[in-house]
Parts: sequence; structure tokens; C-alpha cells
Amino acid sequence: MTDYTLETEDDRLEALRRMLTIREFDTKAGHYFADGEIPGFVHLYIGEEAVGVGTCAALDPDDYIASTHRGHGHCIAKGLDPDLMMAELFGKADGYCNGKGGSMHIADIDSGMLGANGIVGAGPPLATGAALSISHQDRDQVALAFLGDGATAQGQVHEAINQASTWDLPAIFLIENNQYGEATPVEKQHNVDQLSDTAQAYDIPGVTVDGMDITAVYEAVQEGRKRAANGDGPTLIEAETYRYHGHYEGDEQNYRTDEELQQWKDRDAIDAFKARLIDRDELSEAEFEEMQAEVEETIADAIEFAHDAELPHPQEAYDDMFSDTVPEIEKFANRARTDGGDSR
Amino acid sequence: MTAQAELDGQETETMTVREAIRQGLREELERDEDVLIMGEDVGAFGGVLEVTGNLYEEFGEEQVRDTPIAEAGYVGAAVGAAATGTRPVAELMFSDFMGVSMEQIMNQMAKMRYMFGGKTEMPVTIRATEGGGMGAASQHSGTVHTWISHFPGLKAVAPGTAAAAKGLTKAAIRSDDPVFVFENKMIYEQKGEVPTDEDYITPIGEASVEREGEDVTVVATQRLVGESLTVADGLSGDVSVEVIDAQSLYPLDTETIVESLRKTGRMVVADESPVSYGTHAEIIARAQEEAFFSLDAPIQRVGTPDTHMPFSTPLEQEVLPDGEGVQNAIEKIV
Amino acid sequence: MAHIGLIVNPSAGRDIRRLTGGASVVDNYAKRSTTVCVLDGLTLVDETVSVEIMPDKTGIAEHAIGEAPSELDISKVEMPIKETAADTRRAAAHFRETADAVVVLGGDGTSRDAALELGDVPLVSVSTGTNNVVPTPVDGTVAGAAAAVIATAVVDAETVTTRHGKIEVRADDVNGEKHLTGLATIGITDRPFVGTRALVDPTELLGGVVSRAHPAAIGLTSVAGCIEPIAPDAPGGAALRFGDPDETPRSVRAILAPGMTTTIGLESHESLDWDEPAVFELQDCVIGADGEREVELADATVTMTPTANGPRLVDVDGALQAASEKGALISDRPLADAE
Ligand SMILES: Cc1ncc(C[n+]2csc(CCOP(=O)(O)OP(=O)(O)O)c2C)c(N)n1
Ligand SMILES: [Mg+2]
Repeated sequence: MTDYTLETEDDRLEALRRMLTIREFDTKAGHYFADGEIPGFVHLYIGEEAVGVGTCAALDPDDYIASTHRGHGHCIAKGLDPDLMMAELFGKADGYCNGKGGSMHIADIDSGMLGANGIVGAGPPLATGAALSISHQDRDQVALAFLGDGATAQGQVHEAINQASTWDLPAIFLIENNQYGEATPVEKQHNVDQLSDTAQAYDIPGVTVDGMDITAVYEAVQEGRKRAANGDGPTLIEAETYRYHGHYEGDEQNYRTDEELQQWKDRDAIDAFKARLIDRDELSEAEFEEMQAEVEETIADAIEFAHDAELPHPQEAYDDMFSDTVPEIEKFANRARTDGGDSR
Repeated sequence: MTAQAELDGQETETMTVREAIRQGLREELERDEDVLIMGEDVGAFGGVLEVTGNLYEEFGEEQVRDTPIAEAGYVGAAVGAAATGTRPVAELMFSDFMGVSMEQIMNQMAKMRYMFGGKTEMPVTIRATEGGGMGAASQHSGTVHTWISHFPGLKAVAPGTAAAAKGLTKAAIRSDDPVFVFENKMIYEQKGEVPTDEDYITPIGEASVEREGEDVTVVATQRLVGESLTVADGLSGDVSVEVIDAQSLYPLDTETIVESLRKTGRMVVADESPVSYGTHAEIIARAQEEAFFSLDAPIQRVGTPDTHMPFSTPLEQEVLPDGEGVQNAIEKIV
Repeated sequence: MAHIGLIVNPSAGRDIRRLTGGASVVDNYAKRSTTVCVLDGLTLVDETVSVEIMPDKTGIAEHAIGEAPSELDISKVEMPIKETAADTRRAAAHFRETADAVVVLGGDGTSRDAALELGDVPLVSVSTGTNNVVPTPVDGTVAGAAAAVIATAVVDAETVTTRHGKIEVRADDVNGEKHLTGLATIGITDRPFVGTRALVDPTELLGGVVSRAHPAAIGLTSVAGCIEPIAPDAPGGAALRFGDPDETPRSVRAILAPGMTTTIGLESHESLDWDEPAVFELQDCVIGADGEREVELADATVTMTPTANGPRLVDVDGALQAASEKGALISDRPLADAE
């Protein structure tokens, strides 16, 4: 649930807390991945916190988001529970997907989270579809797709935006331009200078905002949401941001310089927002320390929860294929039950 | 169940496969306003193969939508819509276009429920036309249902009769899982008795014994169901042929097929998809797993001989599996 | 050789006003084309001119150099690229020392950034930005031609330029002293954050100071212009304070943004002389210059003062008319000789 905005002091503190939570969650996820406790890949959101939180603050609690492979930040911004997220990363039965999804597939449709996605560019059609449901049933919601600068080159992204704009669906497409798709810089993937310029191709408004400034992201998404909810159709927003870690944990990062990384860190979104709240007398250094300590505790608790949670029983591999049981899967499951799966 | 038993006591009407599908769609649009048909020219134009017909006039744009020519986009939108409270029915004009939308099919539609630990429903129906025989050449004549039947998380049906065409279309729309309805375009004009009851459905996962026999079992799909029935009639007196419409490819009604095989000891599998690594092989594998010791002869496959569908009539006729092929296969083993 | 400076702001004309109002997008393709037109316009005069262009990361300068007419001597200014307004200021500072005229493509914000550093160098300001007051919406080729006749002294710059004003702002709040300079306007918005910078919701304007005013302008200058126009080169300015139109003694209908004609409640309107400050006591707001929110203030005393030392703006029509009147645009030689 996204029950915070940036309108009041309490809301702003909540937004800062979420940014800190994301950073702490992903910092710890990186550690446990390096230790080998988290299998697979993890794509960390560190550096991009203002985009996810600014966006979700501008959305209503019931709105949908379709996420990406770099989705932990979106989940926390949207209000998913770090305990269940961390348990999912650890492959535990109590995780959001009962251990079947992992980092790249965390989903909670009831919270409006349509899923992280391992396929670059696959989220926008899903958001268009969610917007179609909303519009068909005349519901007071919007659907927003996050996508990367890399994803913006995908054909299905074009199809999704074209369809949503042709049908005036209540959708928002938010490009997180973190300057690279894996190791390839954005200039080598696109001919346009600003990715939001592509909006012109759909006759919808497009705008580029500073993704290191949570208030800028928030305002743009607010406007996009207004348009969507008014029946004016989708909006394309590009947030310029940067990921501090490698594309995945363990990436050598020979495609960028330390200076470049430092330049972005100098504009760190959390530092900047914190400084503004202090300037506004809404936060003191001491209160910030306290908030940071609380966040660390929240994530420490999540890790403890994940550690303590049970691994799924191998039998659960056969669950959730369909809404009902089909004889084929029954048969495999039964064999596994009797012989531990040896005769597959 | 036998086809006759299925229809016994039902009020029926004679109609074509095309009309049967349309009636199924109409009844479901009527029953549930969250059912949304979408696809290329399915609306005002009535469908390139005229299946949706006047549904657009009857139900309006809200329920029958023309999409941009963007299979990945609208199939993806159907997935997103299915996860968020509506029941989309997307049409792929020709199943050959499925490749364009395959990403959304294999990585989103098929996997979401599983990957999310059951946290979503996926009530989406994909209707796709298949089959050669009209000189539409290789990119508009394919039979690709094996891909879908093979892919975990998807259900696939391929009716061979008008009754099944309606019953399976309705079952697909009511299912909370992704179901592909493969319509062979050469049988759109084939007539049959179709129950008029609005709640008549053909359960997914049930085969239909279209004709009972003692000597050999023909498991057929789509157009080859009708052609096999003709062959069976022609052979009657000499050979007693049992013809089963598999109807549902995944899940597959192994039980009905195996039961028949136990009785006849001989089997021919007739399906238009390419022969190698395919639907035939799966049916045969299951048959031998369950009834190896009932077999009296090697099981035969009738299908497209691993080519694409060529354009010119003699070429197309050469590779298109038909009744003659079924008859040859029967004669080889009885 | 006469020397021309060229500044093209790659990010002008694409801010959030495209989302919130009726502003149109000026994409890089359009900016590149306009830039090449400017260069072409420079060839209107016989004398060969040299041009230096501000570098950027979007390929505008690169493209201009590639497409420039062969008779121009063109190069990029040697400077680091920060992709912020600092680039414009740095290039302008360089041009103050080297250029005979400068052409700026951008909006009010770009012109202000250039003006802050440009000193007395004549400025041709071409609009590629959003609801602009200072830059003129003139064809790039014509703008280039005007710059050329001034830089080559075909016409006397003195006679075809006007001195624009500026507004100096000093704000004192809990966090100390903050400064800001505006060219045409300083606006106060009832928003807690700078956010996307552009003025998102004009109804949140609380007032401000203008150095010029006309009802045919857009924004704060339009409001002030509805009461009393002030020519760009007229001395002083005006201070405005707004309130709820149901409670203020007067109100005006003004064009606050493209596509946004609004009723503004007018608490007060006060004419200011050069160097006469207007003082505002403000809480929790953002002040902006020339349509862009810049400085967040908590509890502040703000003085806004019109000053006379703005840029020398070229009157494009006037410059070319003067050139024509002098006969400088006619050649007596047959074309073959001239080649
Ligand atoms: C269809 C597809 N192609 C390639 C990949 C491999 N891959 C994973 S993330 C990624 C880069 C994506 O870049 P971008 O969209 O900019 O997102 P970012 O990682 O920068 O957040 C690639 C190529 C994939 N997952 N899916
Ligand atoms: Mg990227």
C-alpha cells in the first residue's frame, strides 16, 4: 500500500524512511548474495531510490505498478513487507512467492504490485493490460510501468505505449534511465537524446526529470496520474538516475569510471532529500540517526525472519501450475512423493 | 465419454464450427461483461475469417475491441488484464503470428501464477487459427499447437467438431488459466449438432469418442477427426474403427485413449502438426507407458512430413495429412 | 575577423510544462536545424566571420560544425561539459572576452544564464524554450543575419540594442542568506519544493517582481502587463502580491501559461524604480526566476530589486532594417566577380 505522499511533514519523513529502507535492504541483499546465501542474481536499486519512492508517493494505494528485474526498490516503495521480500530472496516458503520467484519475480497483486520481471521490456504490456481492466470496469486506479533505458528499445514497449495511448488508457510509463543497459551506455542504444522525446511518436506528453530529486519525480508522476485518471491517456516520464552498484552483484564495471560514479554520488538522492528536510526544520541529525537505526533494525529483522523461515518442501514444486489440478502434474507429483523423484 | 452420450438428452441445433464458436463467444460475452474480445479486425470488420462476425454490433467496442497490429502488445495487455480482474479473449488471426507474441506467452502468461506462488489468476483465452489446405502458403498455414501443449503452464485445446468448438471455447473463457483454442480454418464450414444450453461446456482435459469400434483406435484432432470418421465409415464391414477426438491437447485425456487402446490393441495418431518431436509422439508415449502389453502392432503417426506448408496445390496436397493417410496407416497395422 | 558566440541549450523547451500546460516540445532535431539556420544566416554579410559554439553531449554542436557553410570558420569552445546551466554561464563568460555578438537559443532561463556573464556583448536571443518573455520567436537564419550585421559593424550596435533590466534577489531565512537573479521575473510559488523546477500550477503563484510587463506576454509579466505595461528598456519594474480573488480588492484575467488563462486576485501592485527593493515576508515557498523554481525557503525575508545592468538585447528587425537602409545588403559587383 502506498499511503504516503510528499504533502505533509510526516509523509516526507515516511518517504525518506522508505528510501533508507531500500538502500539498507539492497545493501544487505548484496552482502548475503556475496556470501552465497541468496542464489541466482540480484540487481540492486541503490542510487535510484528517489525514483521508486517519488513515484509510489504520487500514486494512490490501489494503483498498479509493473516492475523490472531491478525491483526491490519498487516493492518497498509500494509498501511490500521486507520480511516476506527477504524470505523470497532466500528462497523460503514464507516468501512472497513461496520461494518460487526469487529476486526477479516478487509480486503481490493485492498490493498493486504486478511483479518484478526477468524479461527486459515485458512490464509495459502488462501495465497496458491492467489499465484496460481499470478502464473497462471504470475503476478509480491507474497502472504504471517502470522500465529501464535499455528496455525502452524493446519492440513490445512500443506496442504497449502505442496501444495505451490509442485507447486513452489510464497508464503511466516511467523510464528509469540509469545511463546503462548492463554495460552499454544509453547513447549507444538510442538515437534520441532524451528518451522522453519518443512520447511524440504516440502524441502523448513526455518529460524528463531529475531522478535524483524525489520531489521532481513526485511532481511528474502526480501530473501523469492526473492525466490518466481524467481519461486523458498515458504519459511518458523519464527519470535520470544512476545505479551505484554493478548491473548485477559481481559485475566488474569496466564500462564506467570512478569519477563518473562519484559525480552521481555527489548528488545522492537520500543525502539531498535529508538535507532539505533538515533545512526545513522537519528533521534533525539526531532524528535522522534514529531513523537510520530503525531502518537497520527493520532489515535485520527481515533477515532474521528469512533465516528462520522454512525452505519449501520439494513437493511444492508441483503447486500453482494451474487453478486446478491436471493429471499430468498430479502424476509427476505423485511419483516424486513415492520415490523422491528418481524415476522422472 | 462418447460423443453420442454427450449429446443425449440435450437440445441441439445444426450449425457450422464457425457459428458454434461465435455462439460460444456470444454466450460468454452475455454472461459476463468482464469478458473482452480483442484482436486484429475482430470488431467492426467481423474477423478476417469471419468468426467474430457481428459480435461488435451486439456488444460494442467495450467488449469487442480492434487492436493495433501488435501481437506482443495486445497479447501482453491480455495477460495484464487477466491478472487484474477481466477475462480477455485475444485472437491471433493466424497461429503463425504467435512467434511475435511468444515472449508474453512463454514468460508472462505461462509463468506468472507459478512464479508468484499462486498469487494471481490468469483467465486469458487465446484463439488461433491453424492449418493448411487453402493455398495460404507457409506463413499462414502452420499448425503450431505442439509448442503450446509442450510449454508448462498453458492449456491447449483443438476441437474437431462443432459441438466441441463451442464447448471448448466456453470452457476456455471460464477457466482461470491460460487456454489456447486452436481452430483449424478448413473446418469452419463443417456442420454438426451443437447443444443450445447456455451452460453447455466441453470440459478441458476430456477426449470424445466420436465413433465406437473394435479393431483399431484412431486418435485424431481438428480436421482429421472428420476425415477419419469418413474413412471409418468406408472401412466398415472390413475393419471396425474407433475414432477419438482428442479435443484437449494439454491436459490430455490419457485415460480415454488408453482405455480404447486396451480394447483395440492398435492405434493411429492423426494430427496436422509436423510429425517429428510432436503431439503424436506424446500421445504414443503415454499409450505405451500405460498399455504397452495391450499393443498388437506398432502405433502409426499421420501428420505433416516435417515441411512447411507449400503454396502450390499439388505441393500442398502432397504434404497435407488427410483421410487417405489415415486409411493407409490403418491398413498397415490391421 | 568578426567573432560570433553561439549557445544552444540542449535542455530548453522540454520541461514539465509539456505535461501540465499547453507548452510544445522543442526536440533536439528542431534545435539542430535551427542552429544550422543561424550559421547560414551569418553568411548574409560579405565579411567572413568566425564562430565558436558551446559544446554539448547531445550532438548539437557536432552537427552544426558538420553542416556549417564552408566559408565560416567554426569551432567549439574548449570547456568541460556539465550538462547544467553552468555550461551556458561558462560559455557566456568566455564570449564576454572574445565575441562581437552572441546568439542564444533557448528560453528565458537560458538567456538569463547567458546574461549573467555576458557583460556588454550584444545578445540575439532566439526562442526555443517555453512561454518566453525575453527571447524572440524569430527564424534562426534571420537571427544569424542580425548577429552578423552587428558583429561586423555594418550597423552600429548602439542603435539597435536595448538594455534589459534584471532583478536581484536576496533572501534571508533560517539557513542564512540566499541569492538569485532574474531577467524578466521573480515569482513566488506556494510549493514546498523545487521539484521539476518549471512552474507546474500557476494558480500557486503568490506574487513577485517583474522588470518588464505586457499583456501580450505570458506568466507574471502578463499579470503585471494587464495593470500597467513596462517596456523592456523602461526603468524599474513592478512588485505584485496576489491573494484569493474573492477577497482581494481587484483581480485580473491574465495568461499564466500556454493554454492557461486565469483570474488572479490582486492584493497590491507597486511600481518600482531601479534599485528600489520590494520586501516580502514568506513562509514555506519556493522563489523562481524567469519561470523556473530555484530556491526553497522556510521562513524568510526576501528583497527583490530591479537593477539596470541587464544584457544588451539586439532588436533583430531593427538591426536588419538599419543594414538595409545603409545599402549594406546590396552588392554592386556582378556575381561572377564576387565569387
Ligand atoms: C528480453 C531480455 N533481454 C536481455 C535480458 C538480459 N538483461 C537483463 S537486465 C539487462 C539490462 C537492462 O537494462 P535497463 O533496461 O536499462 O535496466 P537496468 O538494468 O539498467 O535497470 C539485460 C540486457 C533480459 N533479461 N531480457
Ligand atoms: Mg539502465
